[in-house]
Amino acid sequence: MLRIAFGLTVVCLVASLILGGIYAWTEPAKLRNVAEREQRLIGELLELSPTARVEEVRRYLVWRGNRLEALYLTAGALLRFDGSGALLERTELPAALAGSASADERDAWVQQQARLAADDTFRQVGRFFAGYEGARSAGYVIEGKSAGYKTWIRFFLAIDADYGLRGIEIIEHEEDPGLGAEITEPYFKHQFAGRSFDAIRTIEVTKDPLPAAWRAALEEFADLGLGGWLARHADQLAAHPEIHAITGATISSVAVTDGVKRALRNFRKRMQLVEAHL
Amino acid sequence: MSDALTRPAPPVSELVMRGLFDENPVFRLALSLCPAVAVTTSVKNGLMLGVAVFVVQVLSSVSASLLRRVIIPKIRVPLFVIIIAMWVSVMDMVLAAFYPVVYAQVGLYVKLIVAFAIIISRMELFSMKHAVLPSFWDGFGMGLGFLLAMLLTGAFRELLGSGSIFGYALVEFRPLLLVILPAGGFFTIGLIMALFNWVDLRRGHKLPGEYKGCHG
Repeated sequence: MLRIAFGLTVVCLVASLILGGIYAWTEPAKLRNVAEREQRLIGELLELSPTARVEEVRRYLVWRGNRLEALYLTAGALLRFDGSGALLERTELPAALAGSASADERDAWVQQQARLAADDTFRQVGRFFAGYEGARSAGYVIEGKSAGYKTWIRFFLAIDADYGLRGIEIIEHEEDPGLGAEITEPYFKHQFAGRSFDAIRTIEVTKDPLPAAWRAALEEFADLGLGGWLARHADQLAAHPEIHAITGATISSVAVTDGVKRALRNFRKRMQLVEAHL
Repeated sequence: MSDALTRPAPPVSELVMRGLFDENPVFRLALSLCPAVAVTTSVKNGLMLGVAVFVVQVLSSVSASLLRRVIIPKIRVPLFVIIIAMWVSVMDMVLAAFYPVVYAQVGLYVKLIVAFAIIISRMELFSMKHAVLPSFWDGFGMGLGFLLAMLLTGAFRELLGSGSIFGYALVEFRPLLLVILPAGGFFTIGLIMALFNWVDLRRGHKLPGEYKGCHG
């Protein structure tokens, strides 16, 4: 009995040491890969030139008792707003943090700046990216997530100045291969691109089969870019006001659609409150 | 050296052929059918899962054989599970960190492997009783046999269900949509299983009842 307990304990310890070692060895490279991929996707989604600049904006919520405050950390400053969007305070970012500081270091600095009382709660709740070509804004990329068939589906949305959707990219998901995993295929994800805020707000999912001509048009998206694609296929886009669900994966299709609608609606609501100050 | 933990092993060619045909994990042993059916809707999916299983099978078989003298028999099954889960996690982390392009393709499949019956059964039936090198070849053959099964099933289902192979459309319609659905996956595996049995009989093997001499 003792021997069995001892044997199991030893094996579990050895296995966890090996796993811990491998994790410590691989995690920095993995985080670097994820960050690089995100930067690349942002550039592709906004069709940025190589000289364009991308700034990350991190959003935090603080509950002081029952009073809610929103904090936005931009590339240069920390802005504190009350629940109605009035600017309470602006703090310049110290030079040491402006350069290469990690997200964790920035979050820690923001938490320290928030001057929390003992029972206040502080949480990092989201982030988005603003692209600039010189001084001109090239649109936003926001991050959204939605409950898929098994776990979260994470995605990026590219958004223009009028809150229209320029494109979508699935970042992470664990849907079933051959079924829900098809959400990453051009014929599904590009159905969202090029639609206005109002079109997305009211968009529905249909189980009708995807028409062949529409599918062919969607598969040209990556080659043409949004501008060229709209020039050639604007009539097709107008003729298909609904999202065609993937065969055998209605749950995943609806999850992405609802997630896109929610992320876009919330982003516009928040931005209209604070945009003038960012 | 030929005790209970190191039995004489068959030649390499027989070990590999066993995995590919005589004891093919999917078509002869009927193990790991559920994940196999869920994933083989296309050749590409089948190939990815097959390769991931192949690697974990070889690593796990070798590990179990190395440890066979220290594993306490009463707790061998939990230990096998820990070994498999460890290799699956190691593969997942290493691929994610150093081969992000490959990981983007196979990441989904790697996580499925922990629950594969074929891997644990080879550790129990072979690696615990044989030296490291034969265990390696047994894992190699069984992994390859599973890979072959995934390719055959995936090709059949993609061809008939989607009218394409490796994503390249061959015909503009879906000849038999049923085979791409889960039920169709079981039909496909059943059909290939029948083919394997037919070939086996043609090669002169007898039905199980005849082995025991029921007729005489």
